[in-house]
Amino acid sequence: MKNNNIILYAAILIFGVLAPFVLPAFKVQLSILCILIVLALTWNIQGGEMGYNTFGNILFYGLGMYLCASVQVGMFFPLAEWTESGGEKTFVHTPSQFFQGMAYGLIIAAIVPTIVAGLIGYAILGLRGHYFAICTLGLGVAAGEISGGIEIIGAGQGFTTPPFPEVGDLEARGEFFYFLSFLVLVLTFIAVKSIYSTRFKLILNAIRDNEDKAEAMGIQTMKYKIIGWMISAFFCGLAGGIMGGLVGYIDSTDVAFDGREMGVFMVLMAILGGKGTLWGPVIGATIFHIFKEGFWTFFLGWQYVALGVLIVVIVIYFPEGIMGWLREKYPEKFGEVVDEADRKAQVELK
Amino acid sequence: MKLSKIILSFVSALAILLSSSVTSFAKVVGDKIVLGSAISLTGKYSSNGVHTQNGYNMAVDRINSMGGVKVGGKTYKFEIIYYDDESNPKRAAQLAERLIKQDGVEYMLGPYSSGLTKAIAPVTEKYGVPMVEANGASRSLFTKGYKYLFAVLAPANLYLDVAIDLAVEKNGGKPVSVAMAFEQDAFSQDVRLGVLEAIERTGSKKVIDDKLPKELNDMAATLAKVKAVKPDVLVVSGHTKGALTAIRQISEMKVDVPMLAMTHCDAAKLSKQHGKNSQYALCASQWHKTLTYKDNFFKDGMTYDADFTKEFGYAPPYQAAESSAALLVFKDAFERANSFDKVKLRDALADTNMQTFYGNIKFAPGGQNVDKPMVLFQVMCDGDKCENKVVAPTKWASAELIHPIPSWSQR
Repeated sequence: MKNNNIILYAAILIFGVLAPFVLPAFKVQLSILCILIVLALTWNIQGGEMGYNTFGNILFYGLGMYLCASVQVGMFFPLAEWTESGGEKTFVHTPSQFFQGMAYGLIIAAIVPTIVAGLIGYAILGLRGHYFAICTLGLGVAAGEISGGIEIIGAGQGFTTPPFPEVGDLEARGEFFYFLSFLVLVLTFIAVKSIYSTRFKLILNAIRDNEDKAEAMGIQTMKYKIIGWMISAFFCGLAGGIMGGLVGYIDSTDVAFDGREMGVFMVLMAILGGKGTLWGPVIGATIFHIFKEGFWTFFLGWQYVALGVLIVVIVIYFPEGIMGWLREKYPEKFGEVVDEADRKAQVELK
Repeated sequence: MKLSKIILSFVSALAILLSSSVTSFAKVVGDKIVLGSAISLTGKYSSNGVHTQNGYNMAVDRINSMGGVKVGGKTYKFEIIYYDDESNPKRAAQLAERLIKQDGVEYMLGPYSSGLTKAIAPVTEKYGVPMVEANGASRSLFTKGYKYLFAVLAPANLYLDVAIDLAVEKNGGKPVSVAMAFEQDAFSQDVRLGVLEAIERTGSKKVIDDKLPKELNDMAATLAKVKAVKPDVLVVSGHTKGALTAIRQISEMKVDVPMLAMTHCDAAKLSKQHGKNSQYALCASQWHKTLTYKDNFFKDGMTYDADFTKEFGYAPPYQAAESSAALLVFKDAFERANSFDKVKLRDALADTNMQTFYGNIKFAPGGQNVDKPMVLFQVMCDGDKCENKVVAPTKWASAELIHPIPSWSQR
């Protein structure tokens, strides 16, 4: 049993490390896949384990994106002149400036959203169910509109992130961003996996199943809800920071606070794979990404129709996601003991 | 946990799937020169994306049917690979990468809008892929030191500053008061900067300076202010939706303003969709069919207009015309470079100096076209039939500017 696990992780790790060399043309797609998995994994902490359907995680992602780029530029050049539309000056980062800026930028991009999540969480995690979902939906939309009015980060003009310096060959940029996003994916996975083996996860589940009872048992649910959200925000911020550098251009509503796409995708991916499981979001994000890329190639102009059909199919045939479906079909493989005679008896009763 | 076995087989299946789907074909296949373009077929820029695509296709067909491109004594035909960028910069950057890395494209045509061009330019620049773009006018595109970016159009800050000059001139040389409403996107904000410069230059006053959201469907608040403040000029820019929203609500709210200056009137087919309601709107345009430029492929503006209308069923907005011109530029550069080498082609593009039906094309070191002025046209109606007539600059003017706009009560 244990051996199998080790082989699996080793296989994934080897695949992850070799992927950009085996599939050099797909580096950007693979990097985005890593980011998508991170977003789905972290969304699952709220939506899957805690039962709080948040649309607000996009806030941390966008915040991380703007922060990382701003720090990267602001450390070495005047930020206002960089983003000034029609500016006549050209600033160029040296390689050491670029990587140093990226490193500090990512640190800030992780820490600030975490703090913001704590503050906002304190204010709104008292809401439950649909009210919480709607409230967080508003957060992302508001952030997009507000950031679109802030001149120093480019406002409506958008923010061109520092171009990758001239180091190595043409593949260097793709490899750099791939390994960065893969590293964040590995970190996120380890963090989430280790959380899921603690009492913390059981508390989140208790909140999902019956928050009032959990409170009656003496659990300070608010505290755990906030901490859970802060953990998600930390990794969402990191993911956003990397994505900003990868895309190279930040637009307030279309790239950073992209609730309409990324914000919805992270929910879809987790549900597709099976929310409330560790592997569900990973599988969901992978399948979703492959489907999406395929649709874009083969159904040009119809990709959203195809995506819509996919969503309908998910909801009708896999309401519990792929993992949930597998669990129902092969419960014994999930470590559940099934008494065949008992199961048959139940079926006959019906 | 048997589960890990399932996942293991899933991962390996995925790896096999991915590795078998790497298909890369070269920039020149047989007798075809393959160009790539990410274009907005869906999303907020979809109507202009289609104008752009139609412009590209029209020119490809025309060039191919008239003998194609001659390089090294052989004749080649153009072919374009399109992807839909959904009007999303993130998607556009990704698609540019995909066109270059996976489809092996070595020559790019631009997307629609400044924002998307801004997202694609860093990618094409990194791989040294020459891109001729026809729809990214934001000035900040040309100050980044890009070497492989060439725009056949005049930069965005030149769109409406002429309108302010015109208003001042009509005001007897005295400064005017200006109300501005611009969408929050790269292009419109750059148009705004041009207007601001004109305001400063003429000593005029800005009385309203509103930023409007993307997907512009309502600007009633701004118009209510305009009604109260009564400025001399109202300037609106927000792509096609902005133009349509402005005309719809101005006519609904009966907003009286002596001069209404806009962008994208022809792309929005204002004179057709809103008829008399759009009368007197003053519009910035990169091109108009009555301009007297000529080339061998489309002859002149009037012929282009007729051919385009015959093929696509609507009169070509300037977005289509400039997109067609981009292909003419590529053909010209390929033949002068007489090579498929990207660097040689880039140098040939930089040396471009030609006339097309759309205008003269000559690139500044930053990549913008410096040889083609903007024109302003006004929507003029005769009975129920409305037409766009050029009113400035005087060289091409086919009608006299009607100023001030008669109030709604007198119409």
